[in-house]
Amino acid sequence: MEDLFIQITKAVVAGLMMGLVFGLVALGLTIIFGVMDIVNFAHGEFLMIGMYAGLLTATTFHVDPLVGLPVAAGVGIFLGLACYHGLVRFLLKGPMVAQLFGTFGLMLFLRNVALMIMGAEPRSLHQGILVGKSFILGPGIVIELTKLAAGVLSLAAFAGTWWLLNRTKIGKALTATALDGQAARYMGIPTEKMNAFAWALGGATVSVAGALMVNFWPVDPNVGLLFTMIAFATVALGGFGSVPGAALAGLIVGMMINIAPMWDACVNCLGIESLKGGGMHQFKYSFVYLAYFLIMVFRPRGLFGWKY
Amino acid sequence: MEVLKTAFDFSDFPRIDIWVASAVAVALLVFPTLPHSSFAMATMIQFLMFSVYGMGWNTIGGYGGQVDLGKAQYVGIGAYTTAVMMIRWDVPFWFSLPIGMGLAVGWSFIIGYPLFRLRGHYFAIATIATSLVLKDVFESWSFIGGARGLKIPLKGEMPNFLYVQFREDYYYYYIMLGFFFIGLFYINWFRHSRMGFQLRSIKDNEEVARSLGIDSHWAKIKAYAVATAFVAAVGSFHACYNFNIEPEDVMSLDLSVLIALMAMLGGAGSLFGPIIGAAILVPMKNYLGAWFGARAGLAGLDLIIYATIIMLIAAFEPRGIWGLITRLRERRSN
Repeated sequence: MEDLFIQITKAVVAGLMMGLVFGLVALGLTIIFGVMDIVNFAHGEFLMIGMYAGLLTATTFHVDPLVGLPVAAGVGIFLGLACYHGLVRFLLKGPMVAQLFGTFGLMLFLRNVALMIMGAEPRSLHQGILVGKSFILGPGIVIELTKLAAGVLSLAAFAGTWWLLNRTKIGKALTATALDGQAARYMGIPTEKMNAFAWALGGATVSVAGALMVNFWPVDPNVGLLFTMIAFATVALGGFGSVPGAALAGLIVGMMINIAPMWDACVNCLGIESLKGGGMHQFKYSFVYLAYFLIMVFRPRGLFGWKY
Repeated sequence: MEVLKTAFDFSDFPRIDIWVASAVAVALLVFPTLPHSSFAMATMIQFLMFSVYGMGWNTIGGYGGQVDLGKAQYVGIGAYTTAVMMIRWDVPFWFSLPIGMGLAVGWSFIIGYPLFRLRGHYFAIATIATSLVLKDVFESWSFIGGARGLKIPLKGEMPNFLYVQFREDYYYYYIMLGFFFIGLFYINWFRHSRMGFQLRSIKDNEEVARSLGIDSHWAKIKAYAVATAFVAAVGSFHACYNFNIEPEDVMSLDLSVLIALMAMLGGAGSLFGPIIGAAILVPMKNYLGAWFGARAGLAGLDLIIYATIIMLIAAFEPRGIWGLITRLRERRSN
């Protein structure tokens, strides 16, 4: 019984840590997809580029990975602006299906360019002041400092974005554009610039998330799709257009991914022979996809959404 | 009779289109008698398969305007039904084909009922999600081979028409060509049918369509089932043609997107669009892949070119090549 308790606590702690990072990955998509209502399949590829930006900064200049954060933010802003002005601007003139395929093409493009430049083998980063340190909460329950730092910094990013969207003039202009582009234009808001701003902001947050993640998650060119899907599910769960919703939904999704390993651990601990060997862990991402489906069908507004 | 008459009625196309289409049909019929490499033959069979996938997708995605990015799950259902029935119970292809189509259509009703409450890109992403969940289920289901997939054992004598196992590729080619023509004539009937008109009105404006008394939810589910039947039939064929199926092959997101992409590149919502799209993308993908894949350091360049074409089409001509042709014609007639 003691064992079981430890297993569950372990899964919950791991889920919360992962959840904060998922929240940060989803934050960029909340702005692009949730607020501005533009589909972006290349979101995971932005994350991948952010991860490479952090990794390359740390390895080529032999500096701490934390220095990579502003570099990644810069790369993200540039990437967001380049994608908006080079592609998305044209896609918005066409039907919705053009956005789907255009950003899907962007995803393939970025992934294969990364493949050509960086090669297919996964790389990871093991240096800097964060690596190797950890807190021990109890027997078997360990929090690595890299994950904790990622969680705390993503909370800070959430607070910053919430402040930007709700308390500043430019944030209000962004929200107005998202609510009704036509009306916003009549009020003298440059909606074109607001769209570009949303892409820059979205690109910056997701790149920073990537630079934080590269400390504990190996990066390869194909890492993106999984996170794109997780981010879509997180945004749907939190509610389209809601920043606090994305944070909370990130935590929930992080827990959800740990349901399956937790189930396996419980089955092993309790020694239920008939359920053993099922290997629920194979389904850990299925729960997320299923959650997206159920949320969209039964509560399209999500937890805190103001539009759908 | 009336149905057959509509199916063979191409009179709303200009005469030159009918001539070109007939020439292409004759070329397809005589292709195996011309000298060709086996790689060209495999490419042609793939072209026919993707044309039929695209025709299926076109019913719901083109005429109905509901972008479905989860068609691979039905390819998987069709392929696995045929493979499992052939391996476990020795059922011939021609019997497992309708069963596979039936299972896929049944699943499409279960999925489609809640799915069509969604619109636009929320629908598109939800179809991806369902497809990925089903792929995970198939990958861990040991009865159907799990992630390693299934291998269909070869029968002794060849050619075996009942189990669709041949040593020469041209048998497969002609079977697929049969599917292709059945599909083409069905779609030609479909676009003149009641359901076709209902779908086009839903695509133009769903509120207006509903105010005219069209049950839009049910119409979309029916069209989705038609699309599913097409895709599952080709999936069954894929199992026999490849002998070897695995979830990563027949149920991946790439396949779903490729199906939709070909239809869109050619021109969604037009009769010949998916065929044009497949005729361009399949050879390009195969030949560029073979060409760059053989050179060190250039692997992936074919996908970069391919992605660039997708982005250009989406940005500048979302109606696809058929849309481009229509526009040129309109300009000339003015």
